[in-house]
Amino acid sequence: MHFSWISSAEAGKFAEVATEVIENIKKIGPIKKLVKERAEVA
Amino acid sequence: MSDKIIQKKDLPDIVKSLKETYEVFAPVKENGFYSFKRLKDEQGIDFNLTNTRLSPKSLLSPQSERMFEFNLDEKSEDVNIVKESPKDYPPAVIFGIRPCDAKALRLVNVNFDNPEFKDPWWVKRMESMTFIGLGCNEPSNTCFCTSVGCGPFNEEGLDILLFDCEESFFVKSLTDKGEKLLEKAGINKDADSNIQKKAHVLKEEAEKKISSSVPTKKLSEKKINDLFNAPFWDDVAFACINCGTCTYLCPTCWCFDIQDEIIKHQGDRIRNWDSCMFPLFTLHASGHNPRSEKVQRVRQRFMHKLKYYVDKYNNGVACVGCGRCVKYCPVNIDIRDVFKLMNDL
Amino acid sequence: MIKYSETIRKIAKKILEEKSVDLVIGFKKGTLPLMTEPILINDAEKTDQLYWDSFCSMNLANYLPKKTEKIGIIAKGCDSRNIAVHIVENQIKREQLYIIGVPCKGMVDRRKIISFLNGKEIHEIIESDADITIKGEGFEHTLKKDDYLQDNCKTCMHRNPVIYDAIVGDLVEERKDPDPYDEVKEIEGMESEERWGFFSNIIKDCIRCYACRNACPLCYCPTCFVDESDPQWVGKSIDPTDTMTFHILRAYHCAGRCTDCGACQQACPMDINVRYFTRKLNKDVLDLYNSEAGLSIEKRPPLDTYRPDDYDKFIE
Repeated sequence: MHFSWISSAEAGKFAEVATEVIENIKKIGPIKKLVKERAEVA
Repeated sequence: MSDKIIQKKDLPDIVKSLKETYEVFAPVKENGFYSFKRLKDEQGIDFNLTNTRLSPKSLLSPQSERMFEFNLDEKSEDVNIVKESPKDYPPAVIFGIRPCDAKALRLVNVNFDNPEFKDPWWVKRMESMTFIGLGCNEPSNTCFCTSVGCGPFNEEGLDILLFDCEESFFVKSLTDKGEKLLEKAGINKDADSNIQKKAHVLKEEAEKKISSSVPTKKLSEKKINDLFNAPFWDDVAFACINCGTCTYLCPTCWCFDIQDEIIKHQGDRIRNWDSCMFPLFTLHASGHNPRSEKVQRVRQRFMHKLKYYVDKYNNGVACVGCGRCVKYCPVNIDIRDVFKLMNDL
Repeated sequence: MIKYSETIRKIAKKILEEKSVDLVIGFKKGTLPLMTEPILINDAEKTDQLYWDSFCSMNLANYLPKKTEKIGIIAKGCDSRNIAVHIVENQIKREQLYIIGVPCKGMVDRRKIISFLNGKEIHEIIESDADITIKGEGFEHTLKKDDYLQDNCKTCMHRNPVIYDAIVGDLVEERKDPDPYDEVKEIEGMESEERWGFFSNIIKDCIRCYACRNACPLCYCPTCFVDESDPQWVGKSIDPTDTMTFHILRAYHCAGRCTDCGACQQACPMDINVRYFTRKLNKDVLDLYNSEAGLSIEKRPPLDTYRPDDYDKFIE
């Protein structure tokens, strides 16, 4: 999770943070835990 | 039907030969308590228990089961077609089921296999299973099977009944399925009169050891409305926290809920155990809930088991005295007390 | 501790006769040796059913939300903290309550006794101040209660009720330096995969009976998140992902409000150590906001108050 304070007047900061978060998520890759593709039932 | 004898030391080999024809389910200890599990290749039989925590009803009616599936992908050929989920019903042996749990399965059977309705999953599983029961030499002090039409060596619902005679088992075959299993397992040594006598004594002793009993004789003659409006329900129900412990552990509870789960394009129609203790159990689509109050739900459970079932099927109460609800209710609501309250109203 | 039963009965009878309360919520002796049953008494003549011993592990504050009557309630340390939480969260009013406080030296864990006996059945138990004598078929053991306490009681730092109108005995000495979070620190030290495996293993026997949730005084939502159906938030099957979601989210909903009373763990029919989920969150709230649940009815909980000095190092 990533928390930042960004005012609507800080467009540059918004673009930076958004890009950073996206890069970090891409690095981690798709979620593997707590994912349900299909119910594991009998 | 024949009576045979097997030596305990031969049991591992017998189980091994059974595994060639059947999937063998037996009590397995994990995390400090026993449950019925499919024996893996090296696992043997462990009979050091009074009874399993969860009843073996989950072998016939799994807690969560996929019944049907469907595909919502517009591009695929079988879109929107509901198909029955493929299942295997290999021949199976339930080894070491207690007579109370076996009788419970017969009780539940009236719901899933009767002239009007047949639940195909239940029916197929019952057909594929052979029940080898193990009589109880040492009943628990919460067992009260003898007063509800059952007993530590009761035969109803079993194909074979084993009597634990220290070094050996007295093997009583009760049905054709039982005979067939004895053949497949190579159990062919006839029982002598000595062991037959010993088994008989075991049964009598065990029945005497049942220290807990409940009154049931007057339940059928009581008026439903008198029981329904009885003043004791508030007291009985106060402690109840409306969890699903009693219903899920009970071998005679059978309620279920069917739901669709759709993830992306994959749809599954799943059946889950449900509990009349849960507030949502009787919630209508309109928002109305006829059993919104805890006391109504608690009353419903006991009325169902000890009155409605009695009146509807004329075959005694829907309880086999296994004592699980008594042992594991977090707030110690004791069905034996409720029997008394209802019978003696 | 043994005399508590008498004192509780006396106080309950008095407050019912005086009509300072409409009903009294306490425990009665169970039908099994290691159990007690919560009971509601509204008749002063029936107060001798009230009973107290070291197996009164359920949290009676669980029965308070939404009640409108004047209620006398028996509360040990943790229970009284949950009553305080209920008052702060508007589930009951302070004026409705007559709290009969019980200084507590800890509840005995019936599972530890059962495990010690390894399958042998109990006929009778006799308690004294420090010991418990267990009698069964062909055996008698006398054990030190302190060796068989519930895990949450072993590290309890609030053994005396924090709020009460009457107290049934002398206050007990609080523990000096217990570490309620030593196991949590161990788990925090695990690698991510190991930790995931640890928690997956704990809940693999979960049958979704919700005994833990229903025994918890904090869980009083009219519709629990697992029961939401339009849309459905969590699946109702025993799928491991849904089960894990239930336990993790429930722990989060109790964060900062949980008093570690152990009712959840005691209620579970499958012996699951539910507290492994809740204690981490208690530790986090203590570390980040220096706050423990239910110690005062004047203070708002940390998660519903803004303070300028709130921990904010997570904001980049």
